[in-house]
Amino acid sequence: MSDSISCLTPHRPAYLFCALMGDEAKSIARGLQKRDPDLLDRLIEQYQYRLFRYLMYITGNKERAEDFFQETWIRVLERGHQYDGKSKFEAWLFAIARHLVIDWQRSKKPQSLDTLTDPGQDHPLQLVNENEPSPLHQILSQEKEENVQASLQKIPAIYREVLVLRFQEELQIEEMAGVLSVPLSTVKSRLYRGLEAVRAALPGGAT
Amino acid sequence: MSADLHARAEQLIAQERVECISQAQRDWLTAHLQDCAPCAELARQTDHALRGLRTAAIPLPSGLASRTQFRVRLRAQELREREPQRRALCLACALSWAFGIASAPYVWRLFAWFGERTGVPKLVWELGFGLWWTIPALFAAAVLLMESSRKGDQLDWMSQGS
Repeated sequence: MSDSISCLTPHRPAYLFCALMGDEAKSIARGLQKRDPDLLDRLIEQYQYRLFRYLMYITGNKERAEDFFQETWIRVLERGHQYDGKSKFEAWLFAIARHLVIDWQRSKKPQSLDTLTDPGQDHPLQLVNENEPSPLHQILSQEKEENVQASLQKIPAIYREVLVLRFQEELQIEEMAGVLSVPLSTVKSRLYRGLEAVRAALPGGAT
Repeated sequence: MSADLHARAEQLIAQERVECISQAQRDWLTAHLQDCAPCAELARQTDHALRGLRTAAIPLPSGLASRTQFRVRLRAQELREREPQRRALCLACALSWAFGIASAPYVWRLFAWFGERTGVPKLVWELGFGLWWTIPALFAAAVLLMESSRKGDQLDWMSQGS
């Protein structure tokens, strides 16, 4: 089991990593307070894939994810002074995006994130776009991709969201609690259930 | 092998990936997985699922970043243009309150004198004095409401245009 994923804590020297991250976050906070347009351009470029992927997973719809992507950055510009640089920028960014999606849902009708992209809803998760294959998409095994994406469609949105934040974005559980505005215990229980769900949903997985 | 051992192994497999487990727990799990084919298969499936999740690719819409950068720059320009107005409004409010506080004793006497001259009941001219104090706040609230409704219209226009 040489390729197994064991403890997910970064193995690089922790103090150096934290110091660099802290400096980066502080510098972003200073730039956002000044509404530095060059900084915003750079951040949009840097985080475009991660933010769009997150929005795709929680909205399950490409057009909607695009709209929320743009609105999130507008909100970052307007509320940039609220970011203090004490936490990771991406955690703050995802929290903004998540609140926008929830606000939009509330304005539509009273419902929770669970119903947005759950199986059987009107808008199933549209992760694959046949017209725009990415280089990575071409390299990866098509069958494996389809299996993973099909299995993700079967998972309730609240579990899919925590799996994405933990295993794709590699946020710490404390950071996830901040993004989701829920206690640590809730994040952990969602992660365990999500892990179980994704394992069961994959072909040949436990049922 | 008892069901309890499998349940413990299953729990540790998940815990190892979500949080961390102690060295003793890891040693126990490794030993268990070597002897137990179903639990080893479960660990393999979990890793497979997580690898799939990590490598799942989502195609990025073309020009998304540049379109967003354009919108953000437009909004930034708009906010910059509005900044002097906001400052002027804040200054006007501050001056208004300062003037209101400084002139309160004189205004009180003025209202009292007016009440005596016209024979208006004391309660009425006292209420009038209270209303006099709310005028700056009402003015500021009206300006802010106008601002927010204008912003709302612009956001609607921008979301229609996107």
